[in-house]
Amino acid sequence: MNTNVDTKTATPPRQTATMQGDTRAPGSDTPSLSIAMEERKAFRANPAKASADKLDFWYGSNQALKNINLVIPEHQVTALIGPSGCGKSTFLRCFNRMHDLQADTRYGGAITLRPDNVNLVGPETDPIEVRMRIGMVFQKPNPFPKSVFENVAYGLRLRGINNKADLAERVEKALRGAAIWDEVKDRLNDSALALSGGQMQRVCISRALATEPEILLFDEPTSALDPIATAKIEELISELRQHVTILIVTHNMQQAARVSDFTAFMYLGELVEVDATSKIFTNPSKKATEDYITGRYG
Amino acid sequence: MSVTESVVMQRTDPTDPHTSSSVDQSVAGLRLHALEMGALVIDQVAGAVRALVENDSALAHAVLAREARVDEYEKQLDRDSLTFIALQQPVASDLRLARAIVRIGRELERAGDEAKKIARFALTLDKAADGSPVLAVSRQLRHMAALSGSMLRAAVRAADEMDLDLARAVLKRDAELDAEFAAALRLVMSYVLEDNRFLRPTIDTIFALKGLERIGDHATNIAEQVLYMKGVDISD
Repeated sequence: MNTNVDTKTATPPRQTATMQGDTRAPGSDTPSLSIAMEERKAFRANPAKASADKLDFWYGSNQALKNINLVIPEHQVTALIGPSGCGKSTFLRCFNRMHDLQADTRYGGAITLRPDNVNLVGPETDPIEVRMRIGMVFQKPNPFPKSVFENVAYGLRLRGINNKADLAERVEKALRGAAIWDEVKDRLNDSALALSGGQMQRVCISRALATEPEILLFDEPTSALDPIATAKIEELISELRQHVTILIVTHNMQQAARVSDFTAFMYLGELVEVDATSKIFTNPSKKATEDYITGRYG
Repeated sequence: MSVTESVVMQRTDPTDPHTSSSVDQSVAGLRLHALEMGALVIDQVAGAVRALVENDSALAHAVLAREARVDEYEKQLDRDSLTFIALQQPVASDLRLARAIVRIGRELERAGDEAKKIARFALTLDKAADGSPVLAVSRQLRHMAALSGSMLRAAVRAADEMDLDLARAVLKRDAELDAEFAAALRLVMSYVLEDNRFLRPTIDTIFALKGLERIGDHATNIAEQVLYMKGVDISD
């Protein structure tokens, strides 16, 4: 059974001005950090795949995300940047409900996935269903101790696909999609753990791609890789966005600049600024953003 | 008030310190060299104009001799900016600074070129006949020289102090210089109409006046780069 919704035929609703306009600082009556007209225009040019609306998140009594309002444009790469502890990974993990695995965590607000307007963090939403639609790639390549083929086929088998020909076809498609087919086509039955770091990471991307997710989450996907492997992953990210919406957390500012279409800067659990990447890295609107990307945080 | 709210309205100044002191050193080096070059060009323009109106050939020679140093400064700024971009990979205000410094260097070099041309003209003046048109417009020449020189000084100071108001003031004064040039042009043209023996010195005088007008344009461009460095939209 394929739970994916066909995003190609459905038309996601266009973003309205109020979706970004009513961002308010906690405890404040006046709108603050509201996104300027120019930025709204850039976002309106791309239909929203998902949007965080007044999203809050608590680890116990510690509020890690504060009133996040962010639109994730479809078939675009959105990068999340910010200093350690700013909440960017926490935000990313809300999308596939990874926090549910931890006790005493709480969501507030919503992350709405288009086109069917499912609230990803709603208590009524099944986290397993969410994870079927949203794939994730982690910092360290983490293939299962299985063959390359079985790693990629894993999610498909979970979905009840057991037909050999069908599996083989989908595994090849996923491996090709992650630009690693040529390197592993003769080693499909070898352990994935025998591959190089860059190859393992691309196998992990294949594994995420195999189930045809609508959004792919990358949490520092290249921080454990050498520059060549990094370049391959970055190239891959650029290609993948034709098929899938991408959200990437990175500490590498130049990487955010290279791979993303939009960049969101977070600080202390708040979204400070989001704009076209070219604008953020040449002339950001907020001093906090500029100070961070130019290395002025003391 | 939220943490982020407090910093919304401010802008980062390119001179604000970075976490990395090597970035600070690179930025300081670029700004210092641009400032030194600015001081040199201001001197060149002032010297060339004085050589012209006071018929001082020694001064004109001194201006021409120093021209190579102006060019050397521009090349150095170009090299240093490129190195800064390659090694530090600056973004936002730092990147705008690196680019603006190269442009300011180019504008200063061109202003220096105008000073060189005026100095060369000053050297030919000895041979000019009595009643040369340059004498007739000497008041306009002095006035334009004072105006363009002060615009250049203000533009360089605005770059040094990152002073937006001063930069905007330079932009406003360009129209005044243009009007002065148009008036001087009318005056000097009447000479050649009266007696075509003055054709050559009239053309030279026009070039000198035009040079001063161009120096004002270069000052204006430098002022625009100051606004650009501070993230002000200069497209309109």
